Formats: sequence, C-alpha cells, structure tokens
Amino acid sequence: MQHEPIMTQARTALVTGTTGQDGSYLVELLLAKGYCVVGTSRVPLGMQGLEQAVKWDGMDQETIDRVLADYRPDECYNLAAYASGAGMYDDPVAMGEINGLMVSRILESIRTQSPGTRFMQASSSEVFGIPAESPQDESSIRQPRSPYGAAKLYADTMVKVYRERYGLFACSAILYNHESPRRGLGFVTRKVTRGAAAIKLGLAGELALGNLDAQRDWGYAGDYVEAMWLMLQEKTPDDYVVATGILHTVRELCECAFDHVGLDYRHHVRIDHSAFRPAESIPLVGNAGKAALQMGWQPTVDFKSMIEMMVDHDLAQLRHANMTTGVLQ
Amino acid sequence: MKTALITGVTGQDGAYLAELLLQKGYEVHGIKRRASLFNTSRIDHLYRDPHENGVRFFLHHGDVTDSSNLTRIIQQTSPDEIYNLAAQSHVAVSFEEPEYTADANALGTLRVLEAMRILGLQDKTRFYQASTSELYGLVQGSPQNEKTPFHPRSPYAVAKMYAYWITVNYREAYGIYACNGILFNHESPVRGENFVTRKITRGLARIKLGLQDCLYLGNLDALRDWGHAKDYVEMQWLMLQQDVAEDYVIATGIQHSVREFVSMAAEQLGLGLRWEGSELEEKGYDSAGRCIVRVDPRYFRPAEVNSLLGDPTKAREQLGWKPRISFEQLVREMVESDLAHAERDELVTRHGYYANKYNE
Repeated sequence: MQHEPIMTQARTALVTGTTGQDGSYLVELLLAKGYCVVGTSRVPLGMQGLEQAVKWDGMDQETIDRVLADYRPDECYNLAAYASGAGMYDDPVAMGEINGLMVSRILESIRTQSPGTRFMQASSSEVFGIPAESPQDESSIRQPRSPYGAAKLYADTMVKVYRERYGLFACSAILYNHESPRRGLGFVTRKVTRGAAAIKLGLAGELALGNLDAQRDWGYAGDYVEAMWLMLQEKTPDDYVVATGILHTVRELCECAFDHVGLDYRHHVRIDHSAFRPAESIPLVGNAGKAALQMGWQPTVDFKSMIEMMVDHDLAQLRHANMTTGVLQ
Repeated sequence: MKTALITGVTGQDGAYLAELLLQKGYEVHGIKRRASLFNTSRIDHLYRDPHENGVRFFLHHGDVTDSSNLTRIIQQTSPDEIYNLAAQSHVAVSFEEPEYTADANALGTLRVLEAMRILGLQDKTRFYQASTSELYGLVQGSPQNEKTPFHPRSPYAVAKMYAYWITVNYREAYGIYACNGILFNHESPVRGENFVTRKITRGLARIKLGLQDCLYLGNLDALRDWGHAKDYVEMQWLMLQQDVAEDYVIATGIQHSVREFVSMAAEQLGLGLRWEGSELEEKGYDSAGRCIVRVDPRYFRPAEVNSLLGDPTKAREQLGWKPRISFEQLVREMVESDLAHAERDELVTRHGYYANKYNE
C-alpha cells in the first residue's frame, strides 16, 4: 500500500496508540500547535481532525518501514502498548511483542528509513519495579517486577542503545500514573470517581476497593503529553521522569471524590479483601526535577482539581446516559 | 532417573552440559534447530543410535521462537530441569539483527517459562536461564557481583536483560524454581569460531602451519574475565540442586586483555611473537619478522564494552564452586585442538583434497 503524500508545510507527527487516553490528549495538543498528525491503528480510526489514519501492525517490520518511509515525520510518539494491571499475565508474550519488540522495530525503521525523525517512547514508572530508593529519578536502579515493566525496560534501554550507537534523536518519558476523565474504567482513580458519581445519582449503593492505604503519584494526563512534546523540542535527546512528586493514598482519593458530591466516603466504600494488595515498603514516587530544570515543565492541574474534574465528567456522563436510555450505566 | 531438557544443545555450553548430565545419570533431551547443514558436531560424540538399548540422549527439532513447539516438547519430555541456553549469542551480530535477537533471547525465555506455567509444571520443573556479563556493559562498579546495576549497551544485552527480569518475575509471581546464572565469558575448544578467543587460537595455529598469513583483530585492550565452559556448566547444574532458587555470578575473578590472550597462545605455539607500534598501527611479528597480527577497526565493537571482571564470591561461599581450569590451561587446550585441526587441513590439502576454510 502506498500512502498519499502529505502536501503541507506544517510539521508532521506520527502518533501510535491514538485511541488511548494519552493519544487523544496528545493529538489535540499537536493539532492545536498546527501539526499535521498521522495516527496509526490496528482498526480503522474515526478520530476527528487526524489528517491521516494509517493501518499499522506492530509485529511487522515492513508495514512500519513503509509508514516511516512514506511520511518521514518530523516527530514520532509511541504510545501504543498493552496496559499494566490485572490482565498483564494473560498474554505476556504478546505484551513483550508490542510493548517491547515493536519499539525496536520502530527504532530500526527510523534508522533505516527516516533518520531525521525525532522519537518519543512512553515508558513507565513500572521499570523501577520494587524501587531501591524514593523518590526515583532518571538514574535510579531499574528492577522491574512484571511482564509489563520488563517489556517497558527493554524498550527504553533500546532507545538508549539507538541514541548512543546511531545518534538518533530518541528519548523515553518515564511516566508515573496519569489520569483524566478519559482514563479507562478499570483504573482505580476512574473507578472511584465513577463510583462516587453513581452513588450520588442513586445508581449504585457502594464501592468495593482493595487497600485504601496504597499510595500513588497521580498526575494529569493533559500535563504529561505536554512533557512528551517538550522533550522533542529540546536541543539534545534525553530521558525524563514525568511525575508530580506528591503521593496520595487511595483513601485521600475517595475523600476528595465523595466530598465533591457532598458524601462521606466512609459510608459507601467497602474493603474487598480479594483485591487487597499490601502497600509497597518503598513507594513509587517520581522526582521530575530534571524536566522542570531543563524544559521548564510543571504540572498545571493539581490532584484535587483533577479528581473533581473526573467526578464532574462522570456525573454528566451518567446523567446523560440515564436521560437518553433510562437504563443505568 | 532425572530428566533434563536443554535448549541450545548444539552450542558450546549445551554440549558440555549434556555430557555432564549424562555422566550424572540423567536422561537428556536437547532441542536443535533445523538447518540445511549439519549442526551437531559438538554433540556427535554423545549421540547413540536410538536402536541401541539404554539410550539416554535424545534430540528434538525445535526453536525458542515457536511457542507451540516448545510447549509440545516440554509436555512430551516432562523434564525435572530445563536449561535455557538457546540464544542468538553474538553481540556484534545483534546490531544487524536486533529483532531476531530479541525474539530468541528475550521472548524465547518467556516462551519456555510460559510453557512451564501452562503445563502446570511450576512445582515440578526447575529452570536455569543463561544470563550474561554483557548486562553490565558500561560497568557501574568493578568487579561486578549480583548487586551491580545493569547497563547493557547492545541489542544482545538488552534482550538478555529482559530475560533476566522475566525469570525473576516468574520466580516471584508463580513460585517457579528459576535462576539466572550471570556468566562471564567462557571458552573452550568448541567455542564458536567467530568469538575472539577461538579466532585467535585458530588463526595462530593456521599461521603456524602456513594456512593463513595474518590475524586481524579489533580492540586489543579489551579486558575480559575468561573461564572454561566445562567449569561453568558444572555451576549451572549446581544452581538447580539447591533448596532456594537464586541468581549467581559465574566468573573466575581474574582479568586478561585480548593482547595477553594473543601473546599466551603465540607463546604456546612457539611463534616468538613481539609487539610493535601502538593503537591502529600496533602489529605483532613472529620470530622470522613476518607481521602476523594486525588491528582492523572493522572489528571494533559499536558501544564497546571495555572491561568486564566478575566477582564469584557468592558462588564460592554458598555453593562451594570454584573454577578448576586456569587461564593458561584454557589457552593451551584451545591451541592444541586448533593446531590438530590445522594439521589435518594442511595434510589433506597437501595431498590434493579439499579442506573447509570456514571464512566469514
């Protein structure tokens, strides 16, 4: 398949994983900045505003080569990945293929087809696994403890190898948890904001959660895609931790979400012992000092505002669904 | 009788390990890849006609890039121990074949572990992963032990790092008895011909007999901790006989440069080697004044790993393991073997028959 050439003076960005939370924020950001955005997908894309949607098979070097050769994008953002969480032991080989080897394939395509393309790999705090120190920064020891973390570490180490060996402008963003109203419903933040909204509307009675004392460094996805873009505007390629540096417990998350709808979480949250995981002895929390110093990056949306934004969104969505269908959720 | 399965049985370590396990009374199954040329020369001495009685060594066609093949072989053999030695083992080649290297070295390891889990063998079968000192790459401390942070610098090493962590992960998540042996360089007369030690002993032996004029090498200053493969497979077996699965560095704790290796091999061949010049112009001359060793920058490794030195304290203290074969003995064994090969080649060539040259 030959791709239509893009006749434009605008900068071109290739984004994988456009259907995910980060992909949607990043595409909006790039379009607002006047980029011509090419999105890749395993399935046909219906997203508004994309100049081009190309078919992409992360397992196949040839299709990746073709996309890079045809578009020669100025920037490439790799957000496509299987998510971490409960499902990651279901098919760890496929996770290794996509979260790990696909990144090698993209780097190899950039090297051979379009060496001027700047590359941003969405890495993860999971590469630290059981952290040796807290907070973690770019130089902290990696000891991943999951198929997800091992694949992400493979990928961001290959990014380093290609940067060192071939001089590619390739970087990894070591992203800590980042949330938004577009976060998937399986993630704890969204589970809580959705739960608070549903209980408020009388659509649910209670919310079952695991360990309320578990701590996370939660930021806002809109801020994190800004950091990704900034990384590719630097003079030299480098890896950056992207985090807020602030820990909150699941309990604080519940307090914040239920307060916002005028409820007391203690009356509505039940502990589900089957979902209980012991808290980490050394918490995962990032030090984004380098991103602040080098790129002037700062989070703009604090924890409370983000959770309230998510609750408001869930309230509106549930009300709307209830109005149009009469069926709850 | 215990049963063992070895992936990569046709390689250097596979051959020594199969021999060791057969001596210990194991039934040994090996997985070999189908190739258009015979690839079993290292294990031919172990092979017996399956029509004989009491045969305990069996070969299966397979590949660590093929999940269903692995699952079937593991199911059929139901081994007590699996030694995962299969890999694309050459660092420089990994820059040319990064995808295949990762498929075999990284995902291949995961496929074996997954097959064990799917077959419900997590309590029965013990797993050994051939890990590597290349994980240390740009070394973050010297000597390197089990706690030294990794800093891999090649697609080979990055893939092996994935395999290391996935092995740790399966040990912790599923309680599988799974260990990494972090092996420093280990050599022998059956080391692959395109690894530097074998290239040296083979090249100098052929020069000695007039079959070759000059040996071209890369970085003569590279420092390595070289042991003998025979000692190292003993340690691989020991690691699976413990109460608790742990990871171990396997090394001699002694470092030599490539130049020292060349000098020792040349001395044993009586070539009277002397060095002159420096850097790219460094040359080795024999007693007749012929230039027999030169530097060729094409063999400089991208993202060079300059110095590796292992600290085998944990292996010694916890498992009582010590390498038995010295550096000098290792070089001597390799030189004698390659000299015999060269003599054979010289002999058949002199009598008008063809001898394989095996140039790369």
